[in-house]
Amino acid sequence: MTLATALKTGDLTQLPSRRDEDWRWTDLRGLIRQVPPASPAFDDDVAAGPFDGLAADEILFVNGRQRHAAASGAGEVVALRFVSATEGTAHAAAYAIVVEPDTTLVLLESHEGQAGGYFSDVTLDIAVGEGARVERIVLVDDDAEAIDVVTAEVDLAPGATFNQTVLTAGARRQRIETRVNHPGAHANVRLDGVYALAAQRHADQTTIVTHGGVDGVTSQLTKGVVDDQARGVFQGRIVVQPGADQTDARMGHHALILSDKAEVDAKPELLIFADDVACAHGNTIGALDDEQIFYARQRGIPEAEARAMLTQAFLGEVVERIEHEGARAVATAWVAARLGRAE
Amino acid sequence: MAAVKQTIETVAALEKYEHGFTSQIDQEFAPKGLSEDIVRFISAKKGEPQWMLDWRLDAYRRWLELEEPTWAKVSHPPIDYQDTYYYAAPKEKTGPKSLDEVDPEILAVYAKLGIPLKEQAVLAGVEGAPRYAVDAVFDSVSVVTTFKKELAAVGVIFCSMSEAIREHPELVRQYLGSVVPTSDNYFACLNSAVFSDGSFVYIPPGVRCPMELSTYFRINAKDSGQFERTLIIADKGAYCSYLEGCTAPMRDENQLHAAVVELVLLDDAEIKYSTVQNWYPGDPETGKGGIYNFVTKRADCRGDRSKVSWTQVETGSAITWKYPSCVLRGEGSSGEFYSIAVTNGHQQADTGTKMIHLGANTRSRIVAKGISAGKSSSTYRGLVSAHPKAKGARNFTQCDSLLIGKTCAAHTVPYIEARNGHSVFEHEATTTRLSDDQLFYCQQRGLSQEEAVALLVNGFVKDVLQQLPMEFAVEAQKLVAISLEGSVG
Amino acid sequence: MTSMLSIQNLHATVADKPILKGVTLDVPAGQVHAIMGPNGAGKSTLSYVLSGRGGYEVTEGSATLNGEDLLALEPNERAAKGVFLSFQYPLEIPGVPALTFIRTALNAQRRARGEDEIAAPAFLKLAKEKAAALKIDFDMLKRGLNVGFSGGEKKRMEILQMAMLSPKFLILDETDSGLDIDALKIVSEGVNALRAPDRGMLVITHYQRLLDYIKPDRVHVLAAGRIVASGGPELAHQLEAEGYDKYTVAA
Repeated sequence: MTLATALKTGDLTQLPSRRDEDWRWTDLRGLIRQVPPASPAFDDDVAAGPFDGLAADEILFVNGRQRHAAASGAGEVVALRFVSATEGTAHAAAYAIVVEPDTTLVLLESHEGQAGGYFSDVTLDIAVGEGARVERIVLVDDDAEAIDVVTAEVDLAPGATFNQTVLTAGARRQRIETRVNHPGAHANVRLDGVYALAAQRHADQTTIVTHGGVDGVTSQLTKGVVDDQARGVFQGRIVVQPGADQTDARMGHHALILSDKAEVDAKPELLIFADDVACAHGNTIGALDDEQIFYARQRGIPEAEARAMLTQAFLGEVVERIEHEGARAVATAWVAARLGRAE
Repeated sequence: MAAVKQTIETVAALEKYEHGFTSQIDQEFAPKGLSEDIVRFISAKKGEPQWMLDWRLDAYRRWLELEEPTWAKVSHPPIDYQDTYYYAAPKEKTGPKSLDEVDPEILAVYAKLGIPLKEQAVLAGVEGAPRYAVDAVFDSVSVVTTFKKELAAVGVIFCSMSEAIREHPELVRQYLGSVVPTSDNYFACLNSAVFSDGSFVYIPPGVRCPMELSTYFRINAKDSGQFERTLIIADKGAYCSYLEGCTAPMRDENQLHAAVVELVLLDDAEIKYSTVQNWYPGDPETGKGGIYNFVTKRADCRGDRSKVSWTQVETGSAITWKYPSCVLRGEGSSGEFYSIAVTNGHQQADTGTKMIHLGANTRSRIVAKGISAGKSSSTYRGLVSAHPKAKGARNFTQCDSLLIGKTCAAHTVPYIEARNGHSVFEHEATTTRLSDDQLFYCQQRGLSQEEAVALLVNGFVKDVLQQLPMEFAVEAQKLVAISLEGSVG
Repeated sequence: MTSMLSIQNLHATVADKPILKGVTLDVPAGQVHAIMGPNGAGKSTLSYVLSGRGGYEVTEGSATLNGEDLLALEPNERAAKGVFLSFQYPLEIPGVPALTFIRTALNAQRRARGEDEIAAPAFLKLAKEKAAALKIDFDMLKRGLNVGFSGGEKKRMEILQMAMLSPKFLILDETDSGLDIDALKIVSEGVNALRAPDRGMLVITHYQRLLDYIKPDRVHVLAAGRIVASGGPELAHQLEAEGYDKYTVAA
């Protein structure tokens, strides 16, 4: 039941629907009436990506096809780009990344819509070796009419560190899913997300972290802002398997709804099969704090500016957790641009 | 410290499941299995009018088309709906009866359970002690309802559902199925077809019910299901507090309990609904037997400023599947849900609530405490939603799970759907285990391990126990302690 | 002497409940007036009505600053005209560093007044200078505004903003609440440093203690929504000794 299977077979019944528990708020079956034609090869130049200049190596996919030969593998900072360049067509791509033990990788991943109304499906396999360190920054800038599903399966070895921040402005339907197999064993996971949605855009950030062994840490923080008739979805599931004691897992999801027609749906789940654990989640959905707005206005800041400032600060808490300085700057500017503020 | 002492004494005097006795009472049954004929049999047995029979048959036909739900985090062998008695009643003459006419054997059962059915016995108690009017439901029928005259004097109708269908058809026709529609879900639909008895309450406008109302459910017969139906209507400005208790004998077979409870609240009405559910949980070692408790409970706050509060202490049943819900339709209406779910042995509980905010400035509060021990699993599943018109809606949810032992499981599955920019939803959840440090501290001060567990667990569930009427709180506290016996070792 | 702040027969309600029932008060430039009164007298309401917080409805009367109607303006417009309210409980704003917040406010006020924005180096220099005077660690200004600050630190941050924004008229709402004696001294010194011939102040307090440090020219007693007594600084001492009973009874 995946978009990729449906694209390959043309069989619409393969699409996940709202009847599938994990897709209840991201219905593809009810939306897609027919599968568009396969994307053609695209050989023209594509515009520079959002992380241009930050990475030594670049791995570029256009319309689901890998364009460059694989990167040298020596670089610690790699740009991984998925560009959709042809309107009204569909493509799928899969890529695997192996991070050797005790090495460091900063993965600057971008999903770039450079055409209208495409279907894109990307599947990533990321294996992080013992003691290795990965920071994955995912910036998703889709076309308003696009349908995009990005699924990453992350396998961690003992002592590995995996830090991730997903930033998205949504699409017609969009799902960014990350599944982490957490071995415990002093491996450390940070899974963050930001969504800033307007118009009729939809974005779904789904994470599943499965703790399989003792001594694991997971920290999650996702924040979103929805305006107009947009819809934000957050599904976070933390599973602690039998015997995965001393697990410390925390999840937070906080959203602001800026308009009366926008919607946020959240399902922060804890499934615990071990007893010696400390797990918690918190979820808040609401509007900006009137008291804070009044305070700022009392100091002379006009209301619209006060709202924008507070909204950016709200999302900024997540962006601040990005370690790579260049990526953090890109993310900060991206958030400011989404909120209509120059930085 | 009275509560602590109480708990310690309780723990010291524990039995495994103290309500597990069977009573030899002469009973009559409908033939096993389910068909249109059985539905007709039940309806005829109760002397129901044609409209009621038609309603049941319609439900039965719809039920045939539904599929049993599978989404709950519970697992059980397939239920054979043809291997159950849908009607079991003590053999005796039909019609309304006074306490004197009730079979002394049945009275003995209730006495053993500690349920006061004799009004004078209640009256002879300490002066000023709260009084309880009781509707006693034994398998498929209500055997007696107490204090009816005194309640009638202030206009409160409190009787069995069978009697309500005969005596107050206009109220029953207006409200039955108006909160939980016939085909709402598989088990509610089944109930609509075969419900046997239950309680009916109507509180007229502006009346504050002068005493606690309560229903005591007892499954006694072997292989029988209990399908009671409760309907409470609080008219404008009315108030009542309603208590519900449940027990069953120990049997190796699983028994089905699929009840439906509907609450209707008009403007400014308030209902407090408390449940202490202690159905037989099955054998703690083997997991054999026990009640399947698949219940649909829903309150419809139709009136502005109406208020409903569900409090439940769930310690029994092999499987619990239950989500007392609040439909907050009236402007400024509010719903509360306070829950303690204790699972031990092989018990499975998937329980929680739904708070559906439809009206402006509606409020809801959820405090759910789950305790899992043994090989059991406990899931909190809850939905909080605010529709576009529910401007100013507020929800606060606190879900805490406590794990005792390596082989149990605790899950938290909240669904939150916010559809307007003027609502505030807050949700917090934690999962922890009983702290070794705290246990040791208690033991160092002289408490046994079990006493220490009871003490700490009482602290964990205190917020919810406080919501129960005093007598129920004491009983609930004992139950929690009993249910956790042998969980640490 | 012409008054700077002039309040005439001000009536205001909160959720349709009358709180202010005809307040008349004049504060000339260069003077410090204190408003004292029992709990529930309407002291905080007066400060919120003057600064334009939502939820307070003026049903009658007027309030002007240098002859200009305050009540018709948005809160930020009043701020740009020079009204500064020091909050009894200053808000925490996570994610917005104090420096960013103050610079944004200062420039917004300047723009509203048709002045040029302040250049970054000049702003930083000013901030360092004022922070040092108030014994505020400059690094604290890089953290989220008031986040994790103690009560005393928050009040000092209010005074710092006051010093940076140099408003014409200050309203101090229960500035002494939650302060120990050392913090009270620092805060009072900060306020006193801002006393100037062209600046007026309204000090709202329940206790006389604060007035030992910020010496008022006039003291008014607000009870049940009206000014029921006015006098010199000695009135504050009298209230300290006798309490508010006779006013609450009279009102």
